Amino acid sequence: MSAVLRGNLRMALSDVRGAKWRSVLTMLGVTVGIVAVVTVVDIGGGVKRQIVGTLQHFGPGLIIVRPGQVSDTGSGLGNGKNDVLFGLSSASTLSMQDLQTVQQTPGVSTVAPLGVVPGVATVDDHKSSKVFVLAANSNAATVLNQKVSQGDFWSSADENAQTAVIGRNVGQALFGEPVPLGRSFKFRGQDFIVRGIFAPFDNVPFSPTASFNDAIFIPYQTAAHLTQNTASLYVILAKASNPKQTNGVTTAITTKLRAAHGNAQDFTVLNASQSAGINSGVIHLLSMWIFAIGAISLAIGGVGIMNIMLLNVTERMHEIGVRKAIGASSRQIWSQFMMEAAVLSVVGGCVGIVVALVVDGLLYAYSDLKPVISWQAIVVATLVSLAIGIVFGTAPAIKAARKDPIDALRHE
Amino acid sequence: MGSIIELQDVSKLYGFGDATTLALDEITLDIDEGEFVAVMGPSGCGKSTLMNLIGLLDRPTHGTYTLSGKSAEHLRPARRAKIRRDTIGFVFQFFNLLPRLTVIENVALPLAYKGIGPRNRMKQALNMLERVGMNSREFYHPQHLSGGQAQCVAIARALVNNPKIIIADEPTGNLDSAASRLVMELLSEIHKTGSTILFVTHNPELTRYATRVVYMHDGAIVHDEQTAIGEIASTAREVMYTLPVKTEEDDLAGVSTLMKAVPHAAKPPRATAKKKTAKKAGSTKTRRRATRSKV
Ligand SMILES: Nc1ncnc2c1ncn2[C@@H]1O[C@H](COP(=O)(O)OP(=O)(O)OP(=O)(O)O)[C@@H](O)[C@H]1O
Ligand SMILES: [Mg+2]
Repeated sequence: MSAVLRGNLRMALSDVRGAKWRSVLTMLGVTVGIVAVVTVVDIGGGVKRQIVGTLQHFGPGLIIVRPGQVSDTGSGLGNGKNDVLFGLSSASTLSMQDLQTVQQTPGVSTVAPLGVVPGVATVDDHKSSKVFVLAANSNAATVLNQKVSQGDFWSSADENAQTAVIGRNVGQALFGEPVPLGRSFKFRGQDFIVRGIFAPFDNVPFSPTASFNDAIFIPYQTAAHLTQNTASLYVILAKASNPKQTNGVTTAITTKLRAAHGNAQDFTVLNASQSAGINSGVIHLLSMWIFAIGAISLAIGGVGIMNIMLLNVTERMHEIGVRKAIGASSRQIWSQFMMEAAVLSVVGGCVGIVVALVVDGLLYAYSDLKPVISWQAIVVATLVSLAIGIVFGTAPAIKAARKDPIDALRHE
Repeated sequence: MGSIIELQDVSKLYGFGDATTLALDEITLDIDEGEFVAVMGPSGCGKSTLMNLIGLLDRPTHGTYTLSGKSAEHLRPARRAKIRRDTIGFVFQFFNLLPRLTVIENVALPLAYKGIGPRNRMKQALNMLERVGMNSREFYHPQHLSGGQAQCVAIARALVNNPKIIIADEPTGNLDSAASRLVMELLSEIHKTGSTILFVTHNPELTRYATRVVYMHDGAIVHDEQTAIGEIASTAREVMYTLPVKTEEDDLAGVSTLMKAVPHAAKPPRATAKKKTAKKAGSTKTRRRATRSKV
């Protein structure tokens, strides 16, 4: 029996290798489905790793106050995955007043505001489109838990100074040298001096298109002067003095802010673990969609395989007759066609896996998504394509097996 | 000892209602082990139908078939497949080699269905190819063989499981006389080792290989004669030498020169049988055709 199986396997493979276009097209459905499913799983894994990385990076006890409402029902989907943490999407409803309020909440050790300052930084009329300016205070490095690798961060005494700390990529982009310590740039008509350079932020993107590595940080009060207080506050970051009480402090901040906003809930307070939850909720929803697409595509692929196999069985009826005449049992004919369907499907699936890995690689190289290759997904994908071959190959195989030998032989 | 093939009143009907064809009409035939039987008769007389029934590819509509002493008409498909595999070897007019397999793989296929491992399979297949003189072509694909070579390979495939019975439906139908002779010599060799062989032919010359010739007409056996190996059967010889001229009329009626040679053919071959048929099948179509070919 196993001898026949092996022979069947070899023949089935040679069919596929013979690269009949029909076989290739048939496999396509399965391939697309597998690509969708595997890529989604890998992207999901990447995002999860990113979130975990973010949490670890900021350390425990980080609380984020954002303007507007963030629902966890997935309506945040359009915001992009990272906007939940540091979004640019809504007009701010937070003010410097709120910063004070948060600061004064019991259990909060340090706070740092973060706001985008409109304007373009130039060095001798040279500018970079990637670079943007953020307003922060002297606590920012501490709250973000980020080292300054060259120079230092400004102290509370310098909140009014025209000084700046830059992200790792800014030096090259704007100044044309990696470490432009002590050099100056122009921003909104004023000269700023670079006093420190952040160590590279890993996987803490500011938004899907910008990361802290491209940011220039300037003191908040300086920024307020420059913009006549029109610069808005996009995020207030706070650190709980006791990380274990983070959730309690989060609630306290919410209560106080609501009171300050006249009972309007036009802001969101999250701590890192809650935000991760929302993020994964969004990701989850997205994944479900792509999974659904993958599943539909797999089903279509399966039906395609069934069609081709039915055609195959009809075309090869005479061969089936000959095989039966020389002693093949119905079971052996059945297993031959099952094997062919399974091989078609599994080869389609394997092509899908390879394509998914290529897609992963491209995403890794050219986007902020950093997919993580999941061996489980690969194994499951292989098994799923095998299952599809078996499920959708059954009807054609039964048709072939049931055929009366003499009827099959008469077929031309 | 005894008959290996016993057919008792075997009939085969095709189709339904008005379109019913009586392909075999109450055939009774015993074939002993070791016989080399030639089956002759005009086109459409039921030779292939008979071969397919004996080879367990098809089932009779009526009658009993006993193969090697065991009743064979009600066997389950799996059992029939096993008997085909182990006791029957088929040789077809159009060779029926699988085009995507090499010569040796074709020959080894019945062994694969028996569950024999690849190495043993290839060894036995090669032996068999040697026996038919085709061992130099083992890795050819069938489409690169001549007709005679392809038929030799097909015979090797039929032989590879050491079947007791070889059934060859017009094995030389697609071959020229030299290739025909080659194929028939091969079958003779096999016959000498004790196999029972049935073959269908339209060529009276080839009856010289047979030990027995069965003449069929309209689904019935009209003549059955023993013959010495090496000699053309007497009835068949008449066809060749004494009645060589075909009239146009005869031509229209099929190969009826042969029928004229059959001893009883001058008289209506089966007046009694015809009545029975009419009762059983009631097929006007069949009977009309039957009368026409008797003209
Ligand atoms: N599947 C079928 N359905 C209907 N009628 C059939 C079928 N197979 C054979 N027949 C009929 O049965 C009769 C006998 O056919 P068969 O093939 O046995 O003849 P044959 O003697 O082998 O002819 P030939 O010498 O041409 O091969 C013919 O009248 C044929 O039309
Ligand atoms: Mg025939």
